[in-house]
Formats: sequence, C-alpha cells, structure tokens
Amino acid sequence: MRKLPHTILVAMLGVMAAALIAPPLSHAAPKKTPAKGSAAGKGSSSDSGDIDFDQPAGSAAASGSTSGNAAGNAGNGAANPADIDMDSDQGSSSDLAADLAAVDNGSGGPVKAGEVKKTPVSWQDIVVVIRKPFLKLHRVELFPMVGVTMNDNIIRHYSEGGELNYWLTDVLAIGVEGQYYEHDFESTYDLVARQARRLPTVNQYNWSAALDFHYVPVYGKFAVFDHKLITWEAFFTAGIGAGQSQVVPRDPEFPGFTNLLIQPNIGVGMRFFLAKWLTINLGVRDYAFEDKFEPTDRSTTMNATASQAQANATGEFINNIMFQIGIAFWIPGSFEYTTFR
Amino acid sequence: MTMRTSQILAGLAGMLALATATPAHADDFLGNRTNGLSKDYAVRHRKLLVAHRLEFTPLFETTVNAAYQSIIGGGAKLEYHISDRLSIGVIGVGSTALNTALTNRILPTLASQSSQAAAYQSACPSGVNGPCTGVLPRAPSQTEFLDHLNTMPIHGAAYLSLTPWYGKLAAFSSAFVAFDFYFQAGVALAQLDSNCPQTPGAALGAANNVCWDTHPGTALMSGANSIPAVLDPNVDQPLNSGFRAGLYLGGGVHVFLNDFLALDLTVRDYAFEDNPSGADVNADLFVGPNKVLGDDNRFISHLFFGAGLSIMLPTTVQRTP
Repeated sequence: MRKLPHTILVAMLGVMAAALIAPPLSHAAPKKTPAKGSAAGKGSSSDSGDIDFDQPAGSAAASGSTSGNAAGNAGNGAANPADIDMDSDQGSSSDLAADLAAVDNGSGGPVKAGEVKKTPVSWQDIVVVIRKPFLKLHRVELFPMVGVTMNDNIIRHYSEGGELNYWLTDVLAIGVEGQYYEHDFESTYDLVARQARRLPTVNQYNWSAALDFHYVPVYGKFAVFDHKLITWEAFFTAGIGAGQSQVVPRDPEFPGFTNLLIQPNIGVGMRFFLAKWLTINLGVRDYAFEDKFEPTDRSTTMNATASQAQANATGEFINNIMFQIGIAFWIPGSFEYTTFR
Repeated sequence: MTMRTSQILAGLAGMLALATATPAHADDFLGNRTNGLSKDYAVRHRKLLVAHRLEFTPLFETTVNAAYQSIIGGGAKLEYHISDRLSIGVIGVGSTALNTALTNRILPTLASQSSQAAAYQSACPSGVNGPCTGVLPRAPSQTEFLDHLNTMPIHGAAYLSLTPWYGKLAAFSSAFVAFDFYFQAGVALAQLDSNCPQTPGAALGAANNVCWDTHPGTALMSGANSIPAVLDPNVDQPLNSGFRAGLYLGGGVHVFLNDFLALDLTVRDYAFEDNPSGADVNADLFVGPNKVLGDDNRFISHLFFGAGLSIMLPTTVQRTP
C-alpha cells in the first residue's frame, strides 16, 4: 500500500522534470538548425539577417558555435558585441567601438577605410513582421473563373474561362487567360424596341485571350465575427490580348459578321486564402477595344452581304467591364519557408 | 523488480507519456500551430474604431449601369454604432440626372416635336375630345421620349448595419491601415420626378401639351357617344413621379486613415416600384393601371456606387481587453 504513493510521486516528479526540460509547446515545431556561426551563435556576417527569435537559449547554444554564443553570454551577464543590443540605444559595445576607432585612427581594422556609418544593431532596428501565411513564389496558379458584364444595359455577357499564372516573385506574376462568352439581352433591349421603336445595334462577344501581368501591392487579414482570421490580398492586373465580337443583326434576314479585336485590359481584384493550395479570387477587369457595329442603313440594296456591311461598319471604342470570380488552385500544393520564423 | 526500479520505470513512463502526448493544440490549414487561444478573440488590444461612435459621412453617389438617366449626387450618412458589429443609420442624397449613352444614342434618331404635333393634329382633327381617325405616329418624338424619363432628385434610406469583418492591410509594405466590411439592410426612400406638360385646350403635341391624352386607355363618353381611347402611350402621362418606398440593401468597406477618419466605399441598392422610361411596359398600348396586366411600374433595383469620408465621433478610440 505504501509503494503506490511513492510510485505516483516519482512519476509526477518525472513529468515535472520533463516539462522543465522539454521546449515549450509553442516552439515545439521542428525548426531548421541554424548554420554554424549564425547570429544566434557568433553573429557571422553571412547569416546576420537570420535571427531566430523563437530559439530557446539552450538550443541556441547547442546549435550555434561553441564559443561566445548568446546563451553563454546571457548567462554571464556580458554582451556579445555582435549580438543584438538589448539596451536599445546605449551605444555600441567595446569590440565594435574598438574596430571603429581603429578605422578612425587610420590603423586599419576589419572595416574598410573611408567614412563609416555607425549602425549598431538594437531592438529598434528590428521590424517585427509576421510571416506571410501564403507564399506564391515560383508557384503556378490555375484559376478557373466565371464572369459577367457590369456596364452594358442592353446585352449581358457571361464568361467561362480560366487563367494560368506563374509567380515570378511573391508579388509579381505573368500569365495567360482565355474566356468563352455567352449572352442574353437585358429587358432594356426589348423595351427600347417596343417603346422607342428602335432596334439597338449590339455585338456579342465570342471569345478572348490575353497575356497578363499581376502585381500585388496590398495584403492584409481580417477577422470574421472576431474569431476566424482570414488573410487576403489585393492585386492589379494589366495585359494585352485578342478577342472576337460578332454582330447581332437587327434583321435576321441579313448576315452578321465577326471582328477580331485587340484587347488591352486592366483590372483590380482580391484573393482570399483558404488553404495552402486554394484561394478564392474575385475582381473587376476592363477590356478596352475598338469594335465595329452593323451599319444603320442596311437593306436588300445596301450593305446586304456580310462583307459589304463589314466594309461600312461603324467603329466605336468599347470598355467591357466584367466582374470575375473563381477558385484558384496552386501548384505545388504546398510551400516551405527558407527563413526562420 | 525492486521498488527503486519500479519507481524509475514509472518516472520514465511519465516522461514518455508527456513526450508522446498529443499536444493541446492543432495545426491550422496553413500548418501554423494553434492552441487553446484559437477559440479566443482573434485580436486583443484592438482599437474599437466604430463601437459606440457616431459616424458622419459626407458622400458622393452615382448609379451603376442605369438605363436612361444616370443619377449623380451628394449627401450624407449619419450612423450610430451600437456595438462593434451593429449600427443603425440614415442616408440622404440629393441628385441630378444625366442622359446615359443609350439615351443619347436614341435621341438623334427620333422626330422633332413639331413634326410629331403636326401628325397628331392631322390624325385627331377633333382634338383630345374627339376620335383619332388617322394614323398616329408610333415612335415618340425627342421631347416625348425625354419628358417621359424620370429623375431621382432625392433618395435615401434608413437601415440596420452589420459589420462582421474587420482587419488590417499593408499597402506597398509601407502603409498599414485598418478596415472593415459591413452589410446593410433597411427601407429605401426616393422622390421621383418627371414632367410631361398637359394643357387643356392647347394644340395637340404643342410644347405645353406634350402628354395631351386626358383619358389614357379608357373610352371617353361624350353624351351618348363613346370616344375610343387613344392607344398611343407616347401622349400619356408617364406616371413615374412621386414618393417611393422599398427595400434597401448595401455593402461596403471602411478604410481607416487614422483613428477618426475613414474612406467609406459602398455599393447600395435602392429597390422600389419604378418605370424609368415612363412608357408602356406591359404592352397594353397606354400608360396606366390595367386590371389584367397591372401597372407599368415594376419593382426594380437602382444600383449606386458611393464614396465618402467618414468622421467618427468622439475622435478618441477605446481598445478591447
């Protein structure tokens, strides 16, 4: 009967010891071991930008170099001049000052001769920025989408299409897009015909394709009902492409004709990150082009054929503004950071 | 097995149990580690940029994809944020109207009012109180077309607003600003206006007697004689002016420039009974109520885009715990 409490007590002590030894849970994720001579160790210049804020003192000592490491110095209460100045703007420590003094005296030193800007590292030099939760660098974005015309009160086009983008950097991408269009007529089309006795001259769009560039200047996050955090970004798009429009004859007795359109486009959109491989994209795009419409004076004796009508077609500059939305798939489906958290 | 051995084994078992235990956290979809705080507020010490504040917003508003008349105007929004998510408000806008591209395209193809008047006087030699024996023009004149269109000098809404999303964004990695999305629903109010002159006794189709039909869609009894209705909607009153009430829906975003100023971008839909063309919609050849086909007015959306600068009062903000 007396053995059991002892056993439990020892087990509890073991648990406590393990809890003390084990790294905190929030830092339990596997980390890449810093290279020897890193900032956590000796503050080598090659990796001076890699400061592992989450690295526990013990592991930093283990992974860094063996001499003059941060953990050891912290324990001794002495500052390593190559490490971060915890006292903010208290000035540089002895070694750096000595080096700078040597330069000032013209006696050489580790710094090249000439004017030297004294920039000791301090906490105020560090900008705390959390990791972006989604990296796009060198990934391919496959974006099937649908769209609808926003600025035509006579004919409404619906599009089905897609984009294939390759991200050169995390903010810049190049890609291609293609769309197939369908249409229906707004109520105004019928009402104008019936009320004003005028048949609107309209063209339908058949297809379009473009080479696009995308730039992401804005990213952010928002909380939904104060609990769920969602990250998003806004992007600009500009491109150049081609498309085809087709005249919808006012009188079906006469044939229509098609136009090949040169279509530059600009747009703005938003991307919401749902998973490492999945985003929802939506945006507005303006496809601008010079289109040609059916001539108003068409009869059996004038502009009766498609070629005649096309030759006498009236041109007009068109802005086809479309709202587009879709789900984008990212390849590869995951990504890894090359820098420490 | 000695007692010491069993105690050591128990201690090791305890350590092993701790080392292999499933942590009290999980990975989110992006692989980031989460813990019990995931059920807590997403953001602590957050500035309550809207809660318990009065928002006054001078604004500009314009229709999106209007058919005949673009409505462009300015006004103000007054909104009180009961909490961080819920608010009530009113908006009022005074507007002017501009012809759309469609209207400007139709107009040059229509006849002048003077030629239209001559056609009426020829077809209806007895005037408005006599039968029209000739052929009436079927297309409206320029004046008739324009006089039937209505404008919206004043419109507004009273609404309830929900702000479910808030966040912050970085623009060009240098400007960090807070924003929120909101959605609104309420009652839309509008004053519509059209003016098609009718002057009894004036010549048919004269400038002051454009909508000269005094009995649209109905026969006129003159003694024992019945004068048939003039089945020409172009000379009927448009019946698309007056006060309207309907449904208001909106959605927008505040982009905070500082603690008390925000850029306010909104898409608003004022939906109510309207007949923007003022012409015959239900194909009964007159403008007015029809026992079978109903009115020519119909419940339609009036989509607006608005931009304004919100001033939040008081200018100081509180923070969450």
